[in-house]
Amino acid sequence: MTQPSCYMVVGAILFGLGLVGFLSRRNLIVMFLSTEVMFQGVLVNLVAFGRYHGNLDGQAFAMFLLVIAAVEAALALALIVVLFRRQATLDAEAWRSMRG
Amino acid sequence: MKAELAYGVYATLFAAAVGLVLLCPRAHGRYARAGAVLAIGGVALLLTDLTGRLAAGAGINGFFYVFALLAILSAGRVITTTRPVYAALYLVVTVLAVAGLLVLAEAEFLAAALVIVYAGAIVVTYVFVIMLAQQSRATEYDAATREPTAAVAAGFLLTAAICGVIAQTRWTDAIVTTPAPEGNTVAVASVLLSTYAISLEVAGVLLLVAIVGAIYIVRRDSDIQEAQQT
Repeated sequence: MTQPSCYMVVGAILFGLGLVGFLSRRNLIVMFLSTEVMFQGVLVNLVAFGRYHGNLDGQAFAMFLLVIAAVEAALALALIVVLFRRQATLDAEAWRSMRG
Repeated sequence: MKAELAYGVYATLFAAAVGLVLLCPRAHGRYARAGAVLAIGGVALLLTDLTGRLAAGAGINGFFYVFALLAILSAGRVITTTRPVYAALYLVVTVLAVAGLLVLAEAEFLAAALVIVYAGAIVVTYVFVIMLAQQSRATEYDAATREPTAAVAAGFLLTAAICGVIAQTRWTDAIVTTPAPEGNTVAVASVLLSTYAISLEVAGVLLLVAIVGAIYIVRRDSDIQEAQQT
């Protein structure tokens, strides 16, 4: 049986990769794809900790994480479509002036 | 596990981070092949070394390495490819590999739900928006990243901190549970519908609100005027 801590290493690496993608990419869609990679890391971690404690709470939390991921994708993509209509580009740098 | 052993973790992770910097798309990307070798080698070394020590004789299923490497490598491609459609397709590979890991962890229902919801619904929505908004030729904002070194440094610090803590923690053996006789789906459902029943209802309401909100956000003023005239 594979130890739960091995899964946690995979979860940490996936989360780190998603963070790098979100910080460095300029395409709005790819930025949100990177958040989905972060979600995968969290999901692996939840299941690993649930397994470590020997109960199913981790898997139940992971179901709620799936719900949040779906909600996030729907709202983020709606916002991206609105932004694309304003300025015909997906470049996050085009909205620099919002930094304040 | 001793603190000195964590330095090996940091070193392999640092090599992978340097490789990732070289892999990030940029205007005059050279050394990308060397970066790929560094990144893949570093991650593979980290996985085999750290998990080997964490397992401590308990043994590791060979499929764990297959799925873990597949998930991490395709996640790396998601953030380094210059074509958004390919990024979405590599995300599907990541999701399928993570589903494989979940099956190994005896979370069969979650693995099936992940494939259906992620690979089947969320990624399709992304591909829809990419087709709606993407120019056919490669764009300059896809071909170059902003501040790849700083971004990889932030990711490296976070991942090194987490992996260092994992390496130094004294993990007791996990509580060994026999798989539920009625199956994983029934077991998860009984937890969801008893302990977390109210949360489940709230999650359903949240989905409904999000869908209505998304429709409200993307509507055009002209659509509303047409609807009022008819």
